[in-house]
Amino acid sequence: MTNNMTLGQRFLANEWSALAVAILVGLVVLASMSPAFLTEFNLYVMLRSFCVVLIVAFAQMLTLAVGHMNLSVGALGGLVAIAVGGMMEKWGFPVPVAVLAGLAIGAAGGLINGLLTVRTGINGFIITLATASAFTGINLGITESIPFYNLPAGFVAFGTGRLYALPYLLLPPVLIALALAFFLARTVPGRQLLAVGGNPHAAELSGIPRDRVIVMAHTLSGLLAGAAAILAVAQLGSAQPSIGVDWLLMSFAAPIIGGAALTGGHISVAATALAVVLIVIIQNGMVLAKVDPYWVQFLLGALILAAVGLNRLRAVRAGGA
Amino acid sequence: MTLSVSSQSRARPSWLAEQSNLIGLAVIIVLFWVLFTSLAPGFVSSFNLFALSRSLAVDIVIGFSTMVVLATGGMNLAIGSIGVCAVMASGYLMQTIGLPIPVAMALALLLGAFLGWLNGFVIVRSGVNSFIITLASASLFLGGMLILSKAQTFNALPPEIAAFGRMRWGFLSPLLFVALGLGAALIVLFRFTALGREILAAGANPRAAELSGVPVGRAIIIAHTLSGALAASAGLMLVFRLGAAMPSIGQDWLLPSFLAPVLGGTLLAGGFVSVVGTILGALLVTTLRSGLLVMQVGNFWLQLFLGLILLFAVMVDRYRGVYAERRSLGRKNPRQTSGRSA
Repeated sequence: MTNNMTLGQRFLANEWSALAVAILVGLVVLASMSPAFLTEFNLYVMLRSFCVVLIVAFAQMLTLAVGHMNLSVGALGGLVAIAVGGMMEKWGFPVPVAVLAGLAIGAAGGLINGLLTVRTGINGFIITLATASAFTGINLGITESIPFYNLPAGFVAFGTGRLYALPYLLLPPVLIALALAFFLARTVPGRQLLAVGGNPHAAELSGIPRDRVIVMAHTLSGLLAGAAAILAVAQLGSAQPSIGVDWLLMSFAAPIIGGAALTGGHISVAATALAVVLIVIIQNGMVLAKVDPYWVQFLLGALILAAVGLNRLRAVRAGGA
Repeated sequence: MTLSVSSQSRARPSWLAEQSNLIGLAVIIVLFWVLFTSLAPGFVSSFNLFALSRSLAVDIVIGFSTMVVLATGGMNLAIGSIGVCAVMASGYLMQTIGLPIPVAMALALLLGAFLGWLNGFVIVRSGVNSFIITLASASLFLGGMLILSKAQTFNALPPEIAAFGRMRWGFLSPLLFVALGLGAALIVLFRFTALGREILAAGANPRAAELSGVPVGRAIIIAHTLSGALAASAGLMLVFRLGAAMPSIGQDWLLPSFLAPVLGGTLLAGGFVSVVGTILGALLVTTLRSGLLVMQVGNFWLQLFLGLILLFAVMVDRYRGVYAERRSLGRKNPRQTSGRSA
């Protein structure tokens, strides 16, 4: 099939191509239009906003991988954020303990999502819609919408520190991305995860414990939502109960722009990361161009539709070739 | 990809099962009313009943808006965004242009229907899952509205608007009767018209419907158009209630929009709706919200309760489904029980 394709067709068939071109065009346009774009500080700002979004996108990507969805990423993130903040401020927990406990809460939330979905056989959409409301309720019930401000200085310093244009905050997302790529490409559970998403029935027939893999995907998704929340707390320097309320669209946007199929089995760590880069560049460009911030919301919607359309086109072309 | 719970429960529930669900829901609602009334006498004060009837009206119509799309087996995440677009359009038309109220309202409803049509059209033409399309369009519509309105509230609307919102028929707001009237119209649509039947058929089994000559694409587009118009109606009800057109309307509709129909027994998989169930589901949600408010538990824990109730309701529904499946195992082939996205 590949032999018959022209160079252009092959380029179109590549997952990353459109994204890479869009990112390059964006970089060139912004660099030529605004001298502030390529300054060290602006690059630092962009990389910093990249961190949380990337992990949120990964959290959704893992549930998409098995053909499920997780509407509770943001709600779970908010809960972990205030739990970590509360543990550090009210109970004086050392930072590593609080961070580990926060990750555990995230994983536990994901485990609940996974078990409920698998055990009841109810659509994951409804289950995570319900648990999202429950997580938000616990968050608001505990905090009554009041943030935790007095966090350990070292923790806050990590959120703002940088080496030239590189924020320290970037370290965890890069490690997580590498770990995920390795997990999905090289480990047995990772391959099983993709197999279940690609064809649950075939996977089950070949002896893969389907339910256990789905629960694992949800648990990892919760764990990553927790990690994103902890980074968001470090980034903001305070544990806001509102962390996560605006994650939903972003969490779906990046994997889908990166070519993930809702039906499962088809995800890419690199393409998702590139999609986040594109989103961050667009947001930054909007700020530099002093455009109404509401355009970001509008463009994100348009971008998802464009990506979905492009994927359809690619599928049709591939089918026809 | 279908979002089916399982292929067996796609079958329309029996008349008896449907009634038992409605009776169960009604019993739960009565229990909560007894509980709230005994704990907080203010719950049945005429002031609170009036406030309750106003928010019930909105919750019912939001529920309908999701229900008509669930009938086709799809979903509409853009309900809140369509609602707020209609709200801001009505505000602009009345306050800035100075159009008479009925004309402005009609145009706002048309806008809602048009945005819903747009959703349906793109879903049918692209063949992409309605979840993704409406997630994206929700962002698109909301962004467009914010860009155009600059997030400014229209609060110099004609005084008749707020006056109608405050109007009482006995204990109740006339808005509630509007909502019930819409419910009656929907019952007629789904029970007695060919169009309603086509929408349900398209949801129950698209391929079979297509083969038996039902225009499935058209049915889906019409359901989404209807959903848009209903979302706009819910938004306009809030304009009456608040006496202003605010850009923040609709942002918390997602959960209640699914709560009411799902509690009421409407199937996510499509093919079956319960209008009365949706009304009762909305009543349960409004009762809880109002009761917790009167008991001063506050809004903070409300979210937790709503989430747990939704979980409880879908699980009860699921186990009822399993029971029904077991009973019908002798007749039906249970082979396909595990749907792909279960």
